[in-house]
Amino acid sequence: MGDEGAGSTVHLLCLAASSGVPLFCRSSCGGAPSRQQLPFSVIGSLNGVHMFGQNLDVQLNSARTEDTTVVWKSFHDSITLIALSSEEGTSELRLERMLHMVFGAMVLIVGLEELTNIRNVERLKKELRASYCLIDSFLGNSELIGDLTQCVDCVIPPEGSFMQETLSGFAEATGTAFVSLLVSGRVVAATEGWWRLGMPEAVLLPWLVGSLPPQAARDYPVYLPHGSPTVPHRLLTLTLLRGLELCLLCGPRPPLSQLDPQLLERWWQPLLEPLRACLPLGPRVLPEGFPLHSDILGLLLLHLDLRRCLFTVEPSRNKEPSPEQRRRLLRNFYTLVATTHFSPEPGPTEKEEDEAHPAQSPRACYLVLGPGEGWRLVALQLGLRLLLLMLSPQSPTHGLRSLATHTLQALTPFL
Amino acid sequence: MSGPAWRDSHGRPAEFPGDMSSQEEEEEGDCDAEASGLDSRSSASSDTDLEPEWLDSVQRNGELFYLELSEDEEESLLPETQTVNHVRFSEKEVIIEEDDTRERKKYEPKLKRFTKILKSKKLLPKRYHKKNSSDNGPVSILKHQSNQKTGVTVQQRYKDVTIYINPKKLTVIKAREQLKLLEVLVGIIHQTKWSWRRSGKQANGERLVVHGLSPGGSAMKSGQVLVGDVLVAVNDVDVTSENIERVLSCIPGPMQVKLTFENAYAVKKETAQPKKRKTQSSTNDLVKLLCGSETDSIQHGILDTPHITMYLTLQIQSEVSKEEQEILYHYPVSEASQKLKSVRGIFLTLCDMLESVTGTQVTSSSLHLNGKQIHVAFLKESDKLLLIGLPAEEVPLPQLRNMIEDTAQTLKFMYGSLDSAFCQVENTPHLDHFFSLFFQRALQPDKLHLSASLSAQQYDAASAVLLDSLPGVRWLTLPQELKVELDTVLSDLEAADFEELSEDYYDMRRLYTILGSSLFYKGYLVCSHLPKDDIVEIAAYCRQYCLLPLAAKQRIGQLIIWREVFPQHHLQPPADSDTEVFQEPKGRYFLLIVGLRHYMLSVLLEAGGCTSKATGNPGPDCIYVDQARTTLHQLEGIDSRIEERLASSPGLCLSCADWFLAAPHEKADNLTTSPILNRLQGSTKTVTSPTCRRTFFSDYSFKTRKPSPSRSSGGYEPGEGGEGVVPSPHTTPAAVRKQRESNGSEDSMALLKLARKKSTLPNPFHLGNSKKELSDKELEVYNTMKLTSGPENTLFHYVALETVQGIFITPTHEEVAQLGGSVHAQLIKNFHQCCLSIRAIFQQTLKEENRKVLRGEDHSESADSMSSLTAVKEHGVLFECSPENWTDQKKTPPVMAYWVVGRLFLHPKPQELYVCFHDSVTEIAIEMAFKLFFGLTL
Repeated sequence: MGDEGAGSTVHLLCLAASSGVPLFCRSSCGGAPSRQQLPFSVIGSLNGVHMFGQNLDVQLNSARTEDTTVVWKSFHDSITLIALSSEEGTSELRLERMLHMVFGAMVLIVGLEELTNIRNVERLKKELRASYCLIDSFLGNSELIGDLTQCVDCVIPPEGSFMQETLSGFAEATGTAFVSLLVSGRVVAATEGWWRLGMPEAVLLPWLVGSLPPQAARDYPVYLPHGSPTVPHRLLTLTLLRGLELCLLCGPRPPLSQLDPQLLERWWQPLLEPLRACLPLGPRVLPEGFPLHSDILGLLLLHLDLRRCLFTVEPSRNKEPSPEQRRRLLRNFYTLVATTHFSPEPGPTEKEEDEAHPAQSPRACYLVLGPGEGWRLVALQLGLRLLLLMLSPQSPTHGLRSLATHTLQALTPFL
Repeated sequence: MSGPAWRDSHGRPAEFPGDMSSQEEEEEGDCDAEASGLDSRSSASSDTDLEPEWLDSVQRNGELFYLELSEDEEESLLPETQTVNHVRFSEKEVIIEEDDTRERKKYEPKLKRFTKILKSKKLLPKRYHKKNSSDNGPVSILKHQSNQKTGVTVQQRYKDVTIYINPKKLTVIKAREQLKLLEVLVGIIHQTKWSWRRSGKQANGERLVVHGLSPGGSAMKSGQVLVGDVLVAVNDVDVTSENIERVLSCIPGPMQVKLTFENAYAVKKETAQPKKRKTQSSTNDLVKLLCGSETDSIQHGILDTPHITMYLTLQIQSEVSKEEQEILYHYPVSEASQKLKSVRGIFLTLCDMLESVTGTQVTSSSLHLNGKQIHVAFLKESDKLLLIGLPAEEVPLPQLRNMIEDTAQTLKFMYGSLDSAFCQVENTPHLDHFFSLFFQRALQPDKLHLSASLSAQQYDAASAVLLDSLPGVRWLTLPQELKVELDTVLSDLEAADFEELSEDYYDMRRLYTILGSSLFYKGYLVCSHLPKDDIVEIAAYCRQYCLLPLAAKQRIGQLIIWREVFPQHHLQPPADSDTEVFQEPKGRYFLLIVGLRHYMLSVLLEAGGCTSKATGNPGPDCIYVDQARTTLHQLEGIDSRIEERLASSPGLCLSCADWFLAAPHEKADNLTTSPILNRLQGSTKTVTSPTCRRTFFSDYSFKTRKPSPSRSSGGYEPGEGGEGVVPSPHTTPAAVRKQRESNGSEDSMALLKLARKKSTLPNPFHLGNSKKELSDKELEVYNTMKLTSGPENTLFHYVALETVQGIFITPTHEEVAQLGGSVHAQLIKNFHQCCLSIRAIFQQTLKEENRKVLRGEDHSESADSMSSLTAVKEHGVLFECSPENWTDQKKTPPVMAYWVVGRLFLHPKPQELYVCFHDSVTEIAIEMAFKLFFGLTL
C-alpha cells in the first residue's frame, strides 16, 4: 500500500449545484483516506468554471494536466460532483464511473428526494455523513473492481449448486425474493431476484455490506438508486461466519427478529463445511485447486450481459509484483481496454454486433510492459465474456492468446 | 522539345555581356510600360525578360510562395479551354532553358545578377503583372482561375487595371468594418444583395458588380474602372462577393494590385461561363487552398463543425478593460466556433487554477456542446495560452495533442516563437491561411488528398491520422547506386561551388551557407543531408501547407518558397559554455523550397556565421533558386527509376485482406487453389510482375532450405529481365551467398548487407517453409510466390518510425493501390486508428522515460510507474473483419482475423514499428520481422 507516491491523491467534491455550497469533500492519499483538503477558493473556482459553462450551454466534462485528471458531473441539476485525481494512470472513464457510484451511494443512503430537492443544506450534510464510509471506499484502493467495471464482484464457490438451492429455499422460507450470500463484499450466491437488481445498487449493496464494520446482524434502510430511489427498503444482514454474511433486501416484512438463530441453523448448518471453504475465497475468488496456468498473476473475467465479474490477483502470491500493484495494473489495463479497444458500454450492443458483423471488431489485445519488468497483460473478448489476464514475464507473447482462450474456456461454466 | 527551344539558346542576344546595359535599359523600359497598368506586353518582350516570373510575388518581408502548375496539369484542369494558338511557358521550355544553364550563365552579366540580388534585398518597386497576365506568358496556377484563356475575344471582355492598395490604413477600422474592405481599400462600392446571400447560393457567391466608385478611392483615380464592370479577379485570384473580403485581407502591405474586370458590355453576352469555371476549378481545391484564395465551397462544409484555435494571454492589463482583450488571435469566425470562443473564460481559469493546484500544466479538456463532445488541447508558453478545439468524433484526443504540438512547432519554425507569430498584426492573414489549412486537414482530410486514384486518396486520408503526427518524414528506400547519385547531386549543390556565379568570384562575402538540403519525390523523402531536427521541422512545415500531397498528385511547373525560418535546433542556446564544443553561430536561417514536377528540394540556408549577415528581410536570391532548380533538372532522368521503386517497392510484399476473405476455406494448406497463388502464378507469366519478390525469395529460400545454387538462381533469373531498367549490374547471388555463409551467426546482418547490395530488402515475414519434399519444378514455382512463413503472404501493412534520422517508412501509395480491395481499405483505416491509440501509450512511455533520464534514475525503481501502464514496449490488438454487405443469409460471412502490433524500441534511440498481419503468422516470423525492421531504414 505504502509504495505509492505521496503525491497521488484523489479529491472528491460534492456541491449543491444551485447554491454552490459544498456538501462534503473527501480525499484520499495513496489509497487511504486523508484529511488533506483543497483550499476553499479552489473548490469555488472548480465549481465556478463548470457553472459558467452551463450558463452558456457548454457542458464541461473533464480536464487534464500532465498528471491530474479532473472530471465534473452534475446529477439531476441539483448535485455537482467533482473528482480530481493525480493517481498514476487515472482516466476520465475511471473518474466518471466513480462519480456515478458516489452519487448512487448518496442516493442509497439518503434517497433521491433529499438530493434533488434540497431544503436544508445543513441537515443534508449531516445525513450524508452516513455515506462517507462507502464513498471513501471508492476513493481508496479497494480489493473489488465493481466500481470500475460496473459489474458485481463474484466468487466461484465450491459446491455452488448446493449452496444455490439452499439459498433459494431460505428465500422462500423468509418470503423475500432478494437474498444473497456475501464474502467480504463479493457475491457467493444470490437468488434470481437479487441478480435482477438494477445497476448501481447491484454493485453498491455488496460494497456497502463490505464497508460496514462487522456486526452479527443489521437492519439497514436503503434506497435503491435505480429500482426505488424514493422509497426505502430494508437491508438485513446476518453474519453466518466471520466475513460471510447473508443479505436480504425486503420491505417491512419479515422483521429481523423472525430470522432467529434456529432458522439459520436449520438452513445453513448442513452447509457448514462448504461455507467455511468460502471464507478464503474473499481475495482468492477461485476455489482451491482450480486449474490455472502458473504464469497467471491476475485475472479479471467479466460477463457483459449478466454484469458479473471475477477479479483476483491471488494466483502465485509469492511472486512479484505485490497484489496491490497487480490490482492497479489490471484496473489500468481494464480502463485502457475499455476506452480504446472494446466498447466502453458493454452489454446489449455486443449482441447486436454479433449479428451485424461490423467490418472491423477488436477481439483481443495484449500489452508487454517494459523496459525491465516485462509483465504481460492480455485481454480477450469472446461473445459476451471479456477476460483480462496479467501474466509473468516468462510467458511468451505469441502464446498469450491461446492461454487466454483456454483460461476463458475453463472459466466459462462458472460465469 | 525543338519548338520553343531555339529561342532560348539563340534568340537571346541581349544576354551577351556586350549588350548588357541595353538589356538593363530594356528591363527598365518594361517596368515603365507595365507601370501604366495595362496588359499591353507582347510575347517578344516576355521572352527577353530575364527576371524570374516569381520575383513579383516576393512579399515585403522577403517571403515568397510561388506556385505554378505544369502545362499538362493545367490542361487537365481546364479541358474546355480551346488552346488554339497560345504560346505558353511550357514545361519543356523550362527544361531546355535549364539544360543550357551553364552556357547561358556564362553569358549572363555579372552586374545584372547583383542587381537582382540587390533588388531582392531592397525590394525595389514591384511590378505587378508582367507576362503572366498575357495570354502567351507562363501559366501560373493563378492564371487559369481568371477567365483569360479563350483566345482573342478575351481582350475585349476583360481588362486589367493596376491600382495601389495600402492595407495599413485600414488596420484601425478593420475590426469593426468587416465587410467593407472593397470600399475602403479599392474604392469600389458594391451593394450586396442580401436576398442572394440568404437563398443558399453562397457557394457560388455573387458577381462583384461595381455599383459605384467612392470619391478619391484608388479605383476612381485609375480612371479605368467603370460602373457596371464586374470585378472577376484580384491578382488573378477569382473573386466573388463571398471571398473578396478575404482575398483583400490577405494583402499584407502596400502594393500594386491587379484587378481584372469584365467589361460592362461583355457581361451580358456570356453569363454561363463563370459558373462553369467554378465546377472546373473545384478539382483544384488544393491549389486554391494553398494559395490562400480559399473557395467558400470548400470552407463551407466545415463551418458547421465547432472548431477553434485561440491564442490567449493570461495577463490582462486591468487599466484598459477592453472587450476580448485577452484574445490575441482566434480563428475561424463562424457561428459554431463563437460558442467556444465565448467560454474561453473556462480555459483561462482552468489553466490558471489547475496549474496552481497540481503544479503541472493543463494539457486538455473536453466539453459537450450542442450534443457534441469537443476536445480542447492546451499549450501554455510563459503567460500565453494556445488552444485548439476540435470535435472528439473527428479527432481523437491523442491526435489532437499531437496536432497542437505539431502546430506550435511549425509556428515556431516559421516565426521564431508563438508570440512573434500571433502578436504581430501583419501575420494575421498568414495565420488565417495557416489555420484554414490546418482545420481543413483535420476535418476533411479526404478533400485535401486529391489524387489520381481513389484508393491512394483513401489511403492518404486514412493514414493521415497517424502519419501526420509522427516526428518524421515518409522515406523511400532507394537502390544504393541511385542513392549515391542523389547524394552526389545534393552535395554538389551544398558545396555552393557555383564558380563564376558565386559571390567569391567577385570577392563578395557569401550571402548564405547551405546547411543542407533534402529531396522529396512525390512527397517521399528520397535523400536528406539535413540533421534530423531540421528535416522534421521542414517536413512539418511542408505538411501544414500540404506541399507533399501536392507534389505527389500534380506535376508542379514551378514552386518556389522562400522564408526566414527559425530551426529550433540551431537556435537553442548551447547547453554548455565550453568553447571547444561547436557553437551555433548567431545567424539567421532561410528555407528555400524549390519544386519541379514531382520533385521538391528544400534547402536550409544560414546567413551570419561565416557568411555575411543578413539585413532586413532578404528575398529569395535568384542564384540560389536557380542553382536549386538546376539541381532538380539534373535529376530528371532519375525519376523513372524512383517511380519504378515506388511501384514495386522496397522489399516488403504486402497482401490484400480481401484475398483472405475471398476464399477462406481453401486457404488452409491447399496451395494450388489459393487465391494468392493464382495471382502470383499469373503474374509470373506477365513481365510486369514485381521482380524483387522473386529475388527475395530465392535468397530466403536458401537460408532455410539451402537449395543448390542453380535452383535458387533459377528463381532469380526470371526477375532480372524485368529489372533491366536499372543499369548497374547485380552482385551475383552466389557471391552474396558465400558472404552469408561466412557470416554464419550474423545472418541477419548479412541479409541486410545483401539487401543493400541488391538495392532491395528482404521480407522479414518470410522464413522459408518446411515443405522439403517439393519437387524441383514445384519448388521453382513456389520460389516465385512464396513470400511468408505461412502458405500465403500475410503482411498487410506496416509503419516503421525511426527517430534517429527522423524518418518513417510505410508502403507506397502505388503498392497499396495495387492491392486494392474494399476490406483492405477498411483494414488500413482501422490499422492507422489503432496505431494512433497504441502510439498514445508509447508516447506516455517515452515521456516517462525522459522524466527518468532527467531525474537520473535507472529503471528499477518507483513502484508507481510499475503499476501504471506508462511503461509499455509492445501492444497488439487482434481484430476480426468480414466483408461488408454480406448478402448470403444462409452462410455466415467469412471472418478474417488480423493483428495490429506496435512495438517500441527505446534503445539506443526510440524507434517504433507498427505492423498489421494475418492471425496465422507464427511467433518466430514476427520476432524476425521486428529484428529486420532495423534493416529497413538503412
